[in-house]
Formats: sequence, structure tokens, C-alpha cells
Amino acid sequence: MKRWYLVALLPALLGLLTSLVLNFGGLQNPILNIQIDIGTFALLVGIIISIPCVAYLAYRRNSQRDHQQQIAKMQSTISEDRMRFLQRLDHELKNPLTAIQAGLANLNGDINLEAVDSIRVQTSRLSRLVADLRKLAELESRPLERTSVNLSEILTDTVDILQESPDASERQISLHIPQAPWPLPHISGDPDLLFLTFHNLLSNALKFSQPGDAVEVRAFEDDASVVVEIADTGPGIPREELPHVWQELYRGENARGIPGSGLGLPLVRAIVNRHGGQVTLRSRVGQGTVVLVRLPVENAEHP
Amino acid sequence: MKDRQKILLVDDEPAITTNLSAFLERSGYTTAVAADGEQALQQIEAEQPDLIVLDVLMPKVDGREVLRRLRQSGIWTPVILLTQVGEAFERAMALEEGADDYLNKPFEPQELIARIRAVLRRARPGQRPLSASWVLESGSLQLDRRAHRAYLQGEEVVLTPKAMRLLEYLMTHPDELLSRERLLDVVWGWDYPVGTRAVDTRVAELRRVLDDDASDPTYIETIPGQGYRFTSLVEPGE
Repeated sequence: MKRWYLVALLPALLGLLTSLVLNFGGLQNPILNIQIDIGTFALLVGIIISIPCVAYLAYRRNSQRDHQQQIAKMQSTISEDRMRFLQRLDHELKNPLTAIQAGLANLNGDINLEAVDSIRVQTSRLSRLVADLRKLAELESRPLERTSVNLSEILTDTVDILQESPDASERQISLHIPQAPWPLPHISGDPDLLFLTFHNLLSNALKFSQPGDAVEVRAFEDDASVVVEIADTGPGIPREELPHVWQELYRGENARGIPGSGLGLPLVRAIVNRHGGQVTLRSRVGQGTVVLVRLPVENAEHP
Repeated sequence: MKDRQKILLVDDEPAITTNLSAFLERSGYTTAVAADGEQALQQIEAEQPDLIVLDVLMPKVDGREVLRRLRQSGIWTPVILLTQVGEAFERAMALEEGADDYLNKPFEPQELIARIRAVLRRARPGQRPLSASWVLESGSLQLDRRAHRAYLQGEEVVLTPKAMRLLEYLMTHPDELLSRERLLDVVWGWDYPVGTRAVDTRVAELRRVLDDDASDPTYIETIPGQGYRFTSLVEPGE
């Protein structure tokens, strides 16, 4: 930029130099007589005034364009995850809304129970989505209400409750909780959120498996952690989908037609992370999936 | 025959007030509508409603401020606040300002009717509602809501934070059938189907700590297939 100012000032500098040399250099300084008609003079003055004005406007336009380019660059640096999240949210909102609009069109003045029912179902689907999103947002901001939690109880309750669900029919569910040489140590956390975690994981295992498949819930103590594994012999998750399963609203190819918001696993991960733990998932197509939740033992974290 | 009771609906979203007021009219109430806090204050004076359904987020004067001004000028017209009560901060505010009940958006209109009925039934015209009292007493049970402490026969009892909040809501809404979903919504701030187990666990904790027999309850009664009810008489303390 600076170099261009120098170039712009070059004629003035040359003029100054010439004037200095001719006036004070002891050289002859001849007079130049110019005669000009007023018409041409007006034209020249006009052009001389216009040039800097046009230059200024061009400069302004350029700098505005630069600014816009900068904004565009900033926008493109918004993380891709966020963009993808918004696209999925858009999709998740569009479907129920389309169904509601279709249902309302079907109503068309007369009472049509089927249409009303479908509107109700879609509305509750939207409510669920909003509730899940809110829960996720809260998990980021709200402090945990910690108490001493016996995971054995939570896992037993989870299995008992889900055993009754229609998804559990013809699955062999088994639960392994160690009693010897000592029972599973307690962990410090929010029992309701932990229940939600294991309920989500086990109901996923049941939802995505087939009749005849086996589902195992295994808990054990490992150093200063309690590890819970939820494993199934279901269809498994394709390798290319594995990195996405923790992303909000992501739904895999084989999840089509199976109810769910795509927020179950992100919720699980948010809850486990808030408890100072980790959750990982391994899967092989045709063999099944295992989710491993590792949570710190109570006294290890809060001595 | 008793006159139809008048509900003032305050929300800046016309789609909500239009549909809700039609629904309330069909349910046997007369309604008035205000689109912001300023209008609400004028309407309350002009219309003298029996109950106000008040949204929190509004332009000009927000719902919170409307409630504060009402209570400061000694007007105890029952108020149902539409707010995210799951947030501890929001709950504390709602309590401090003396709302009679809260409802999270989005809600089932039937749930609003149930809340309106319960609040109107409990309302003692012109008097402070239980929900605006800092200390509540029921038999030998005392609850200090400011300090989050409960006492049984003068001895402090230890409760988990959720059980404490559950007890608080039950005691501010005595003799009212409260479904598990309702308790979940108002105490936990979520409405997961799996959450009803959370309610049962906390009720069990309360019964254990208060030494309350589920089959012959002094405080918390189970209504099979429906929910829970705080049966004992509650009075504002001090």
C-alpha cells in the first residue's frame, strides 16, 4: 500500500525537484507562456477535479469489497459441524411440519380422525426434539447435582424396564454385575441422568437388533473406574458412519424407519463427559456393536 | 349459576393467544388478551381477571416485571407463569415474585386447564398464595424454602436436592393430584418417558426420610395409575 502512495506522489516530487533546481540552482529559469481559450481551460479544470474524485470512489468500492470478502471468509470458517448440524435440524423440522401441513389439508373443514392423529404424533415428535435440544444445551451449562450412585441398581432397573418393551421381544438380554470379591463401587453423579444414559444405550441395542440377537450388559471395576459395556449381536454400523454417530441429529443409513431423534448418543456422550468419564463405540458390520462407558469411581474423584 | 371465571392471557405471540383463548372459552372461561406487559397491567386494572396466564419473554415490560409490580402493589390475583422452570435460577425468580404455578412451553392445552382449575380452587381471594410463602408447615413437617432445609419435629432431615425440590412443589400444591409427568416437568425440567422412574425414586426417598407409610400416608398419597398427592394440610409458617 505504502509503495503506491510513493508512486502517486512521484509527479509532485519530480515537480518539486525541478522547481528547486531551476529556482535556486543558479540556472536559467525560462518563462513558459501559455495561451489558452476559456473553453479548453474549463475542460482541463473539470478533468483535473474529476480524476481524484473518481479515484476516491474506486478506492471506496474496493475497500468495501475487501470487507465483504473478509466477512465471507469468516462465515466460511464457522465450523463445518455447525453447518451440518443446522442442515440436519432443518431436515428434522421439515418432515414433521410437512406431515402436519398435509394433515391439516386433509382436515379441510370436516373432522378426520386419522389426520388429527397424525398431526398430534408429529407435534409430539417436534416437542421431543425441542426437549432433547434443550437438555443438550443445559448439560453444557448447568452444574451436576451429584450424589453417591450405585450403578448396579441403575443397570438392574434399566434392564427390568426395557425387558418389558416391545423392542425386547425375542432378544436374549443378559446382565453381568460382579458381586465377588466385592460389589461394584459407587460413583459420584446424577442418578437420573445416568439412568437416562444406560436406558438410551440399551434401548438402542434393542432397537437396532433383530429377533434372536443377544444383548449383553456387563459392568466391572477397572482400576479407578467403573466400566459398563452394552453389547449386541445386531447388524453393526458401517465403518464410514462410525465417526458421525456422536454428532447431533446424525442418523445412519440403517436407522431409517426406526424412530429416534438422532440426539440419543450425543446426549449420552454429554452426560458421560460431564461425569468425568469417556464413552467409546466399536462395531463390525454383520457382527454387532459394543458401547463402552467408563466412569470414575466416587472416592477416586472426591477423596 | 356462578359467573364464568375470567382469564387474562398475556403473550406477545398472537398465534398462541388466539388459539388458547378459543380453547379456554370452549372450556367454560371468559378470556381477555394482552400482547405485552404494559397492556397486561392496564387490562388487569380494567378487567379484574380471576387468573392471569403470563408469558415471561415479552417486549416492553416482561412477565417477570408485571408479576413483581402486581405483588408489590398487593394484588394477589393468581398467576400461572409460562417459563422454563427446570432452570434453578428461573424457579427461584418465579418463587420470589409469587407465581402460583408454572408451565413449560410447549405444553398441552389440557394441562393448562388442569393448572388453571387447581390454582383457582386453591386461591384464597386477596391473600398471599402458599407459593409465595418462604416457610411452609404441615403437621410436624416444616420447610424453609429460602435455606432449602426441611425439619421433622424440629430436627433437620437430609434430602437430595431433587427430593427437596419435589417436596417443595408438593407442599405448595397440596391436595392436588399431580401426575408423574407434571412433577417431572416442573421439578426436573424434562419430560422423558423414562423420567417417571426418577419421580418414583424421589418419592420413595421422601417417604423414607419423612417416615411416611405409603399404605397409610400422612403426607404423600399414591393415586394408582395417576400420580401423587400431598394430603396433609399446609399452612404458611411464621
